[in-house]
Amino acid sequence: MTADKKLSNKYILIAVDESENARRAVSYVAELLGGVEGFEVTILHVIPLPEEDFFLTATEKGKWLSKYKVRIDAILEEYRQILIGAGFDPKYVSVRSPTRYCPSMAECILAERDEREYGTIVVGRQGLSRTEEFIFGSISSKIVTHARNCTVWVVE
Amino acid sequence: MAKFFSQSELREMISRWLPPRKIPKRFRIHRDTTEFFRVEYDDVVFLGGKTYLIRHNAKEQRFGLEDEVKFWVKRAIDLTNGSLKILKLVFREKFVAKIGDIEFECLRSPRKEARILDLVADSHNFMHGFSVKDARGNLVRVLDFIKGDPLSLHIQRMDMDHETYFHQHFPQVLDHYMDCIRAIYFLHQHGEKHGDIRRDHILIDSDSGHYRWIDFDINYRHRENIYGYDLFGLGNVLVFLVGKGDLLLRDLKHEGHPALSRVNEDDLNMVFTNRVVNLKKIYPYVPDSLNRVLMHFSKGTTWFYENTAQLLEDLEELRNAA
Repeated sequence: MTADKKLSNKYILIAVDESENARRAVSYVAELLGGVEGFEVTILHVIPLPEEDFFLTATEKGKWLSKYKVRIDAILEEYRQILIGAGFDPKYVSVRSPTRYCPSMAECILAERDEREYGTIVVGRQGLSRTEEFIFGSISSKIVTHARNCTVWVVE
Repeated sequence: MAKFFSQSELREMISRWLPPRKIPKRFRIHRDTTEFFRVEYDDVVFLGGKTYLIRHNAKEQRFGLEDEVKFWVKRAIDLTNGSLKILKLVFREKFVAKIGDIEFECLRSPRKEARILDLVADSHNFMHGFSVKDARGNLVRVLDFIKGDPLSLHIQRMDMDHETYFHQHFPQVLDHYMDCIRAIYFLHQHGEKHGDIRRDHILIDSDSGHYRWIDFDINYRHRENIYGYDLFGLGNVLVFLVGKGDLLLRDLKHEGHPALSRVNEDDLNMVFTNRVVNLKKIYPYVPDSLNRVLMHFSKGTTWFYENTAQLLEDLEELRNAA
């Protein structure tokens, strides 16, 4: 990564999941920046390492993870095509789906940002009720609260 | 290799702990506990080289309903030393829990409870025990029997008005409960959830006086805040303790309570909207500092605790100031 990228908002991380909100975030970036030169985008989905309690055996857990990864990689590719279709140079649109131990997805996303030094993080708003957000937490709210040295876009 | 005893040897072992009239003539012996419904009163279970005589199934109190029999949880006597144990047999249950309109996936995990038992072996604020596999590999938890009442029952049995309770008993109750919150914080620091925090999942050990968490086999599929549901449970128990029970809108209406007209929607529990959380409106002697903590669990709150340490910090501050 160049020194310029470290300081540039043009190096964008779109954090997605399987929800419609994530698709909206991708579409928003596509509409806003498609065809504009100089932007580089990574579409990220962190695969949370599931807790062992939810599986009877390690094999079962492994199978679940493999299926999940196949599904997610297909979605990531679909999102990549949305950006390319909107005019992004394919060279500058990449996807990532690392598997991580993730008690907090927001922290995992922010760790990715820190490691690769994206200038902008884009996420979809989850549309949780206030109670739901309080008790179960909101990824986008936490990213907004805890992100440092970058810009955060929360797409409605 | 574990030794298996004959019927007469078993009878002799049991005679050390039970009077002759209570000793059965023959015993059904289980090495495999998969079919936990078949493990019944007066049966014998062999586990990890030890022999247990089964007594009753455990029961759990349900709000307003008859006690629910937990057929996978058995009282038992450890025939090597006569001590009372609770055997939790493997019951794989997956279910969708609901709080208000929010649904989330839960399951019973023997592995989780076994892990936590190892983790909390030195903490007097948890039940104690160990796990052992039966002949079919089922992870059975062998728990020390705790003599004592659930915290909920203890509070509800206090026969006095709220003000007397609040001034004379609540400070000690709170100190004990803060130990329980510290115990949950300890779990969270080690990456574990309790998973089923309820007022009747704290037993008051009548031998030691300690408040002890029980039943931590439930795991829930967390979202962003891994411990948020535990925190919500801790808050609900706290409100219950401050209020000497649930303060229900229905009851206030029934009594024609003078404060009722001052209670608004923001004063209610964020999920259970029939419960009043803003207790100061009903009991004006509840200090502001304590009421502020309660209000973080109300419908009107603008900020929820992110972690157990924050809740503890607020409570410690108000206890130190008292």
